[in-house]
Amino acid sequence: MSAVSAAARRRLGAALAGVGALAAVAVLLFPLYAVVVASFETNSELFGASRYSFFPARFTLSNYRVVLSQQGSHVVSSLIIAAGTAALTLAIAVPAAHALARYRFAVTGLLTGSLLAAQILPSIVIANSLFLVYHRLHLLNSYPGLVIADASYAVPFAILVLRAFMLALPRDVIAAARVDGATEWQAFTRLVLPMSRPAIITIALFAFLNGWGDFIFALTMLNGNTFEPVTLSIYTYIGEFSQNWGQAMALAVFAVLPAAMLLIAAQRYIAAGLTAGSVKG
Amino acid sequence: MVVSAASKDAGRQVRLLRLARWLFLLPAVGFVVFAFVVPVVYNVVLSFERTSPATVAHLAAPFAGLSNYWVTLRDPVADSAIVRTFSFTVLSLLFQFVIGFGLALLFCVRFPLRVLARSLVLVPWLLPLLVTGVIFRFLFQLQAGAVNQVLLGLHLVHRPVGFEVDPGWAYLTVLVTNIWIGVPFFTVLLYSALQDVPAELLEAARIDGAGPWQRLVRVRLPLIRPVAEVVLVLGFVFTVKVFDVVIGLTGGGPANSTQLIATWAYNLSFQEFDYGAGAALNTVLLLIALAAAPLYIWLNRASLRGDTR
Repeated sequence: MSAVSAAARRRLGAALAGVGALAAVAVLLFPLYAVVVASFETNSELFGASRYSFFPARFTLSNYRVVLSQQGSHVVSSLIIAAGTAALTLAIAVPAAHALARYRFAVTGLLTGSLLAAQILPSIVIANSLFLVYHRLHLLNSYPGLVIADASYAVPFAILVLRAFMLALPRDVIAAARVDGATEWQAFTRLVLPMSRPAIITIALFAFLNGWGDFIFALTMLNGNTFEPVTLSIYTYIGEFSQNWGQAMALAVFAVLPAAMLLIAAQRYIAAGLTAGSVKG
Repeated sequence: MVVSAASKDAGRQVRLLRLARWLFLLPAVGFVVFAFVVPVVYNVVLSFERTSPATVAHLAAPFAGLSNYWVTLRDPVADSAIVRTFSFTVLSLLFQFVIGFGLALLFCVRFPLRVLARSLVLVPWLLPLLVTGVIFRFLFQLQAGAVNQVLLGLHLVHRPVGFEVDPGWAYLTVLVTNIWIGVPFFTVLLYSALQDVPAELLEAARIDGAGPWQRLVRVRLPLIRPVAEVVLVLGFVFTVKVFDVVIGLTGGGPANSTQLIATWAYNLSFQEFDYGAGAALNTVLLLIALAAAPLYIWLNRASLRGDTR
């Protein structure tokens, strides 16, 4: 009797926890739902409503039509920046992580220590200095300049996470390959790289999202005359057309799309990166 | 002769190998110097210089002693930005931890859609921070904002709340937004720590007569403490440098009432073109952030030594 009631109580507890968790997730995701709804509404509907309507009163695609025609080039710029950031991060981090995991250097401790400290460094500090340095080097308003700055979000995290992953790889497999006559380079490209694939995908994803989401470097290093990523264009958009929220929210949908798609397509890599202690901003 | 040629060859190979090892590391070293060391050193140098729009063309400006620091730190806006950054960080971490831990506990219980819910929780963390700021600016608007519409609909308020125009409310909106961003991070990390708590231990505590609250406080909390420390230190590091959210949401207003250190430093450098003053405030931010560094590095000591197995 008491065993039954304990089981029943436990089932009730699980049901309550489930309801609570789902309600919390619903509250957490409501802002994004509201953005999607607003993106399908005209401005007069948005401002005319005295109460919140959970569905667009009159469904319109006009916001998306306007945004697609005006903002397409900004989406392309963001894609170039994000892909460039991912490529540069991999080019720097993959060899470095391998070297730090496999060989002993006098500077290993110093370098990993500075990478940890670099993760702490506020981006505004980097932006303030790099702006003046870039001015001198003529790197302002250029893709390479912005990509280098954006890689500062991801490179320390990428090296540290990948190195930890590579340290945990079975060492005897690599040693056996070396005994069988493989060169160091072959051991790296044919064994270490394929075995590190999950970690490499994780850091590439985070570098991509960092490049896509960057605002502070775009704000400080671009004057908007050459190219503009989506984050910067949303910011200028609400500055200039602060009352046109339907269009601004349609643009916001485009800006959050990559994150949503990556979460669906590569969820386990994202979760892995988050658990590894990714640092952003 | 043959032997010495061979050993010379071997010596050359060793040197080549050592060179090759360094080639793997070189891009990373170069990047660290260019993107981290140079900016930090140059920032400190700038903070002691009398800069102006005219000095931008050169990398050096006249020496100014400590005047940037005096002027910046006596400025009431900068003062209150520093104080506000502290209160903002403490309140953010407190609520992120409580909400994140609560959600993590709920996720430990099996219920339908648990896996889906757990992955959806991640979404706020992945959005571009500026876009999050703009989204919440929309939500907290006076007229068309969903928050006011919902509050009016529930009859919790009779007139729309001026979230954007009242300094106190504006601060609260930035705080709420930042908590929203950080909750996924706390939830996921605390959840994975809770998963590592051995079930036998909880069972044993139950048999010994410990209630749910005691099991939580006496068993689970002590066991997840190391992870909780890491999460809080990381959270501190993210939060003291918050920038995008404030710019997207309030732009630091109304009347500078939501300026944080990073946004005010940006304002000094890039709106008033006083790079020296901006650099001085940046140095303050740097010192606050780096205050967490010893703790952070100590918590990450495993990755420094390299013995992760």
